[in-house]
Amino acid sequence: MIKYLLQKEFLQIRRNSFMPKIIFIFPIMVMCVMPWVMNQEVTNIRVDVVDTDRTTESQQLVHQIEQSNYFIFNGQKATYQEALKDIETSQADIILEIRDGQYLIAANAVNGTKGSIGSSYLSQIVTAHVQPSVVAIQSKVSTLFLYNKGQSYKVFMIPALMGILMMMLCGFLPALNIVGEKEKGTIEQINVTPVSKWSFILAKLIPYWLIGLLVLTVCLILSWLVYGITCQGPLLLIYLLAILLALFFSSFGLIISNYSDTMQQAMLVMWFFVVCLMLLSGLFTPTRSMPSWAYLTTYVNPMHYFIDAIRTVFVRGGTFQSIAHQVYALVCISTLMAVWAVKSYKKNN
Amino acid sequence: MNEAIIASHVSKNYGRVRALRDVSFSVGKGEVFGLIGPDGAGKTSMFRILCTLLLPDVGTASVDGYDVVRQMSDIRRRVGYMPGKFSLYQDLTVQENLEFFATLFGTTVEEGYDSIKAIYSQIERFKDRKAGALSGGMKQKLALSCALVHQPSVLFLDEPTTGVDPVSRKEFWDMLSMLKERQITIVASTPYLDEVRRCERVAFLSEGQVMGIDTPDVILDRFKDVFNPPGIEHEKTMGVAEENVIEVEHLVKAFGDFHAVDDISFSVRKGEIFGFLGANGAGKTTAMHMLTGLNQPTSGTGRVCGFDIRTQYEDIKRHIGYMSQKFSLYEDLTVAENIRLFAGIYGMQDDEIARKTDDLLRKLQFEEHKNDLVGSLPLGWKQKLAFSVSIFHEPGVVFLDEPTGGVDPATRRQFWELIYDAASRGITVFVTTHYMDEAEYCDRISIMVDGKISAMGTPEELKRTLNQPDMDHVFTYLARQATRSSD
Amino acid sequence: MTRIKMNTFLSFVIKETRHILRDKRTMLILFGMPVVLMLLFGFAITNDVKNVRTVAVTSQMDHLTQTAIDRLAASEYFSITATVPQPQEAELLIRSQQADLAVVFAHDFAAKKSGVQFIVDGADPNMAQQWVTYAQQVILNPQSSLVNLKLLYNPRMKSAYNFVPAIMGMLLLLICAMMTSVSIVREKEQGTMEVLLVSPVRPLMIIVAKAVPYLLQALLILFIILAMSATVLDVPLQGSLGWILVVSFIYILLALSLGLLISNVAQTQFVALLVSAMMLLLPTVMLSGMLFPVESMPRILQWVSAIIPPRYYIQAMRKLMIMGVGIGEVWQEVTVLTGMTILLLVISLKKFNKRLS
Repeated sequence: MIKYLLQKEFLQIRRNSFMPKIIFIFPIMVMCVMPWVMNQEVTNIRVDVVDTDRTTESQQLVHQIEQSNYFIFNGQKATYQEALKDIETSQADIILEIRDGQYLIAANAVNGTKGSIGSSYLSQIVTAHVQPSVVAIQSKVSTLFLYNKGQSYKVFMIPALMGILMMMLCGFLPALNIVGEKEKGTIEQINVTPVSKWSFILAKLIPYWLIGLLVLTVCLILSWLVYGITCQGPLLLIYLLAILLALFFSSFGLIISNYSDTMQQAMLVMWFFVVCLMLLSGLFTPTRSMPSWAYLTTYVNPMHYFIDAIRTVFVRGGTFQSIAHQVYALVCISTLMAVWAVKSYKKNN
Repeated sequence: MNEAIIASHVSKNYGRVRALRDVSFSVGKGEVFGLIGPDGAGKTSMFRILCTLLLPDVGTASVDGYDVVRQMSDIRRRVGYMPGKFSLYQDLTVQENLEFFATLFGTTVEEGYDSIKAIYSQIERFKDRKAGALSGGMKQKLALSCALVHQPSVLFLDEPTTGVDPVSRKEFWDMLSMLKERQITIVASTPYLDEVRRCERVAFLSEGQVMGIDTPDVILDRFKDVFNPPGIEHEKTMGVAEENVIEVEHLVKAFGDFHAVDDISFSVRKGEIFGFLGANGAGKTTAMHMLTGLNQPTSGTGRVCGFDIRTQYEDIKRHIGYMSQKFSLYEDLTVAENIRLFAGIYGMQDDEIARKTDDLLRKLQFEEHKNDLVGSLPLGWKQKLAFSVSIFHEPGVVFLDEPTGGVDPATRRQFWELIYDAASRGITVFVTTHYMDEAEYCDRISIMVDGKISAMGTPEELKRTLNQPDMDHVFTYLARQATRSSD
Repeated sequence: MTRIKMNTFLSFVIKETRHILRDKRTMLILFGMPVVLMLLFGFAITNDVKNVRTVAVTSQMDHLTQTAIDRLAASEYFSITATVPQPQEAELLIRSQQADLAVVFAHDFAAKKSGVQFIVDGADPNMAQQWVTYAQQVILNPQSSLVNLKLLYNPRMKSAYNFVPAIMGMLLLLICAMMTSVSIVREKEQGTMEVLLVSPVRPLMIIVAKAVPYLLQALLILFIILAMSATVLDVPLQGSLGWILVVSFIYILLALSLGLLISNVAQTQFVALLVSAMMLLLPTVMLSGMLFPVESMPRILQWVSAIIPPRYYIQAMRKLMIMGVGIGEVWQEVTVLTGMTILLLVISLKKFNKRLS
């Protein structure tokens, strides 16, 4: 019987004027644009120099700054006030003032990361210039980067993007679909037929799971074609994680649709939770930097386990052993949600 | 008599579909004018053009002396319009809806109260309830009240009484007559013949063309094969066995203090066509929901096809068919795909489905539309198809909730032929309707008033015992005894 | 006549307000969202280097090595989780995800005050870089007295300073554009729009009346955000409140006209929701410089971001609220926003269908 319901869902997705476009365009856009956007690398910092000393030494320093990859030399300013004006109008990001052999770096720190990284880069250049001995010490310090040898932020973000895509396709779309049937009243017709809860729900979800896995495959291929980035660990594990995440988000979507009356409501509630789950998952910022109350939430956040695990597999080349803990946690949370989802769907009240 | 509405040579196309072809008519001031015709004849397009919502492709039209193309805002100040699927704000209460529409038209509920009293008084006691919680017919009554609360000089009503019970329909038309006395011009469309007769003149539209304009009697007579098809011959005793398919005893459904269904008992025999009548809000839909396993009864017992409605509702669902007016088929699937879906749900095999689909479509003479989207079919066809799909798996009972709402007489007759055909094959038919001519077609009927069954028997028995000439009068007689109206 | 018009208008506004108030869950989300987002961005979402799990690798624990390790442990950035003799063991710990960073001290570390190697989990390149920089500073403790560092506007480097204007930009757009468009399209879908259009009420008034409650709601949320940022998040309001409100008001108008435009294109709520989510929300979050700095994007995306209104609003708010500059410093952003608002308003009013299409 589920065969016929599945057929119906696929036909309806195909007939919908909007859905196929979304399923097709969205992943491509996400994979081709997002990695470029989600670039936290700090470059092109515009520097204003206020050089009152005007010595050859200070001019050499300015020259060094111009040559650095991180900085763009914005110009010499006569006074600090003048330079500050540049910062206020967003024409410069950082000021270097040289006065009586003293160096002052003032950085616009509205964006904290940018401000601190920029000022520390600049102070390194200045220190190296003034005190070559420090450089000698620093040169004896070596750093070995395990994994992601190219230090590319894209490698770090691409697996996370796959998670976001699975969440959109397997969470939002089925939830909206079910609330849509509710709003139109078509669900009543299904409820008077002998269709069991399970087959109805599965028939709603399976198409999106399949679409999700298809999209995942497209993403893996795109990341190889466009960025030359490939998965370091076993691909099968990526699929396993994706399936578990899909199970969670579709159950979650289903629960929300069971409790919502209108599409708008479902969309907003879903959006709210998704934003929270995502922000607290360590997708953008490291979870360990969080205060302890926020860190506690990561224990029940499936997105956190997923992001952790998929990065381990994709970037670090982990095996099942290295992500076993996350997989078990995902299995538990997803099962719990699935049971709740099926329980909350009522054919007879 | 000066003319309130003049339409001359109006044509309108939607892509390749020709909705209106060279339509011309005029309506005098203070006249009650009917626009009638089968579904898809172009009535709604005509209304929309007159209301300045659509632009005609060819031709001109004027309302109250203003041109519909150039003087849009003048017309909008003067007309009232109730579209076919008038919908209320579901999350506002009855009173809030009414007040909003009153102010929208620059009046107040108090000022317009007289013109809506007859209908609004029926729902006034639920004025704090949200419109979304009302039953279908009650919503329609509220929509009528909202449309009538102001007194425009021209009133356009597009099938205003679909899904409304006969008594309320009469009251509604009485109100329209009152408006007429105030020189308000009314243009209405309706599938009910008794309502057609209350118009002064009617225009019969078919496939976008005016076939004739005259008094109702002349038109109904001239096109009687469309409007008044010969009755159906039916051997009433045939196929009815002794065995009971539905047995209900002391069934109650309460929502808080309110008893929507208040202690009803009845039984339906195998192969019988059982008409389940009642005014809007009498509790029909609630009762039907309990029988089909969508709802649990508060108390009482019931068996459908031998299964208990309280515990074995999933078994019941395997043995019944169900069709509602609101929704029956998926509009974004084709005819064949819908059949396949529902047949598959009931566990039929592929080859059997394919064979029976062809048989069915041949019987309905519908083969060429096999791969058309259901959404593109006219309403009458949809309903016939929906019924055929609901009995496709040969269920013991089929439940029909106002299956013919808004359908024209000729199509309704074809629909009932299908019902008789099903009954002759031993399928019990449990049907609700607001058409009293259809009530006469039933083997046995029950009439619900205020959640209770106030009369039950064959149509002849009821007419005889209550001493009324026809079912219309029987219904009116019983329904007028109601003290409440809601479900 | 004008009084009647005013009445009609008011009843429209009341009706819209009721729609909003009746849907408790949506209300809760709309007002809960700013609060939760402010808290999350204010406290939880930070790029700070904190609690980095560090392994110390040393074959002989002499005094200087011990001091260096103690310094690491004492800093809030690092927590020493293990001390092992061999670098291989440390690497194993990192590979099994039990540590992020290993500091390998050479055996002659004490003598030469040098010879330190860092082994770091480089999956997140940004954080890896920062960990190393911080660790280097803590261990080597270079004489930094030479350079005076001054972090303007945000001396404690709190990310909240950066995010508060961004949240404002996103939420105002979401509420005004998305909610307005959905509420107009819903009337179309349900068929009530037909009646409204045929009524004597001018179509423009229908739209304005629909926008008013959302406008009020947006202003209310704006106040919540401003109040929270000043009290809970300790992000002081540096600039003039008056100008902040003026610029926000222009932005709200812009969002409302965008919503109106969407409602003209979309026929169903589903499409309206998706269009506003995909075409408004996503570019806002991604391209407006809200989370990711515009300067770091490839040139072509920088051009794309130039047509995204929230970019200018967020930039203007960062300047007005955080940097505390005068209105003269943001005239460019304000001019662009005003221009966009006028353009969108004209287009959406021109496109508004007074008839059914």
